[in-house]
Amino acid sequence: MKKILSVFLVPVFALLFSLNAKSESLTLGWAAWDPANALQELSKEFTAETGVEMNFEFVPWPNFAERMLNELNNQGKTFDLLIGDSQWIGQGAEYGHYVKLNDFFDANGISMDDFNPATVYAYSTWPKGSPNYYALPAMGDALAWAYRKDWFDRPELQAEFKGKHGYDLGVPKTWDELYDMCTFFQGREIDGQVRYGAAINTERGSEGITMGVTAAMYAWGMEYENPDKAYDMDGYFNSDASVEAVEFYRKMYEDCAPPGHSDAYMVANLDAYKSGQVAFQMNWYAFWPGVSKEDSDGRVSGFFANPCQNVCAATLGGQGISVVKYSDKQDLALEYMKWFAKPDIQQKWWDLGGYSCHMDVLGSPDFVDSAVYAQGFLDSMGIVKDFWQEPTFVELMLPMQERIHDYVVNGKGSAKEALDKIIDDWTEVFEDDGKI
Amino acid sequence: MKSAVKKFKGLSDKAIAWIFIAPTLILLLAINIYPLIYAIRMSFTNFYANKIGREVKFVGLKNYKKILGKEEIWEKMQITAHFVCWTLVIQALIGLGLALLLNKKFKGNELLTTLIVLPMMLSPAVVGVFWTYLYNPQVGLFNYVVNFFYDFGIFDMIGSSTLAPWSIVIVDTWMWTPFTMLICLAGLRSIPNYLYEAAEVDRASKWQQFIHITLPSVLPFLLLALLFRGIENFKMFDLVAELTSGGPGSATELASINLKREAFEKWKTGYSSAFAVILFVTIFGFGNVYVKVMNKIKDR
Repeated sequence: MKKILSVFLVPVFALLFSLNAKSESLTLGWAAWDPANALQELSKEFTAETGVEMNFEFVPWPNFAERMLNELNNQGKTFDLLIGDSQWIGQGAEYGHYVKLNDFFDANGISMDDFNPATVYAYSTWPKGSPNYYALPAMGDALAWAYRKDWFDRPELQAEFKGKHGYDLGVPKTWDELYDMCTFFQGREIDGQVRYGAAINTERGSEGITMGVTAAMYAWGMEYENPDKAYDMDGYFNSDASVEAVEFYRKMYEDCAPPGHSDAYMVANLDAYKSGQVAFQMNWYAFWPGVSKEDSDGRVSGFFANPCQNVCAATLGGQGISVVKYSDKQDLALEYMKWFAKPDIQQKWWDLGGYSCHMDVLGSPDFVDSAVYAQGFLDSMGIVKDFWQEPTFVELMLPMQERIHDYVVNGKGSAKEALDKIIDDWTEVFEDDGKI
Repeated sequence: MKSAVKKFKGLSDKAIAWIFIAPTLILLLAINIYPLIYAIRMSFTNFYANKIGREVKFVGLKNYKKILGKEEIWEKMQITAHFVCWTLVIQALIGLGLALLLNKKFKGNELLTTLIVLPMMLSPAVVGVFWTYLYNPQVGLFNYVVNFFYDFGIFDMIGSSTLAPWSIVIVDTWMWTPFTMLICLAGLRSIPNYLYEAAEVDRASKWQQFIHITLPSVLPFLLLALLFRGIENFKMFDLVAELTSGGPGSATELASINLKREAFEKWKTGYSSAFAVILFVTIFGFGNVYVKVMNKIKDR
């Protein structure tokens, strides 16, 4: 009898034990891109240290916001940890999706002073700039540019460019120079193939064209609102400088983009660049480790921060890591966050291709020389500007996507009309939200 | 067991009928009627599904007034009307033409029918994605074929505001013409041969036979196919969302794409419920009128 019992009971207990062991797991949600793979690799160390299994759900960028925000709005328990876009912080805090982290930080000696101030402001705080933290800066990022250094280095092209424009072909310092260089390469035959100027953001569905056009608008000095009067946008967002920037972006699209580049964002820009179609690509720093890896001797690609125009500024990307309020494993999730905040883990994060925001990493004497894009990243993080981070950010983003795409790609109306209409749309959103 | 059989035997026909239709009825009420009533109720409120804890207020007809007074909504309706009308016209003509062709007996008829029907079996999302490649101005097959016949140079079907509305019409036609064709083919095959034999005896020409026998016989089938296609295309979402995302700008933003953005991206639940009700009433109204016209034609 005993034998029979042991034959049946041992496997049952073993199964129960294994199920119990597997219940010590966390699920982390993020976008499907190179840094996510690096994080997955890094997290193996957490599993080795703690025995907690890490599961990941990486969602492709076009569906990322929709998938994650739907999950949060439905108070779903799929994710214990979420690396959400910077613009979600208002929604995460105000609608109670994210756990407030102040007490946890205090109890575990995690200081926000140890992280880059721009990233703390953008990824962690709500209301903006207040000492209320809902995320730990996880992945610093900004919109930047890569260029075909091997083409730029050709003496005959250098001579021709200098003869035409009177200055050297090199990293553009302003958007005007960028335009000169883009048009210089547009339609040019190099090594028997027709090349084009620049792969810029034109995507309509999610946030692509907004992220692209704001890179120009910030450089022209655009402000979303009156600094002294919140939500007073007229004369700021649609200022003459903003109008000029949007017109310039359209000019870039018309004169520099490869044919068919009318609905392009991260991957499409990357593809256009990697396939040798374009001289420049606009993209997030997150992609540069991948681009750089394929160019081991550094002869093909060069990288630079968003060019200045009236001012120096760059579009902020990147994300903070938050604990989801609806998770049943908040304590375990906080353990992961504590582990992730350690300086040595942050260093490994950078080494693997993630963009650490920790000052120990960024301030290290070796940092600038650790990657060809490191200096650009540091420069960019000092000049970043972000889209509205209001809880209603999706409602603010969608009309901007539509109006800007309508003007830049579709050629409908004027830049001023587009910006005026965006202000009308935004006013309606803010009124509806009780902000005005 | 016996008593159960006895009990069942004791039921009236009406009761047995109710037992059979009850599961369907319950399912219909639960997944169709209840959500519809709920959506109608929501349409009179300022409800936002993502704003937890916010007071839900009754706003009367405000959402309806806002939608009907919005110039942009009418633009979306025009875009939808353009898409629906042109797809119906083209699919009716090509579908009927193909059905007439396949109604003839020739070698390879069956293989050709299978090949023609293939696009209809694909997922609209997949079709949307691979047509974005076919439309690629640099390497796309579509542009290559067009330029083979006449050199237009580089043109961007989905990036141009003039061409984009036609790009979605072309893809929908490619995908769904086989459906119209199949229904018409069923109609053609139901025409008794003796009608043509009698017409031959009366020395009617082929054209006269087509006008007086084929067309009237196949018309109810064609109209039925167009009714299905009309309703489907009025609600069209997946194919266009994948192909153009409603762009460039809003050139191909159909009413359903706009509705999805309002409902599940902006989370304006009350407002989008009202919009959904308006669309439902529109389809329902058009559908009813159409069915009446179709019945009249059938009765003739």
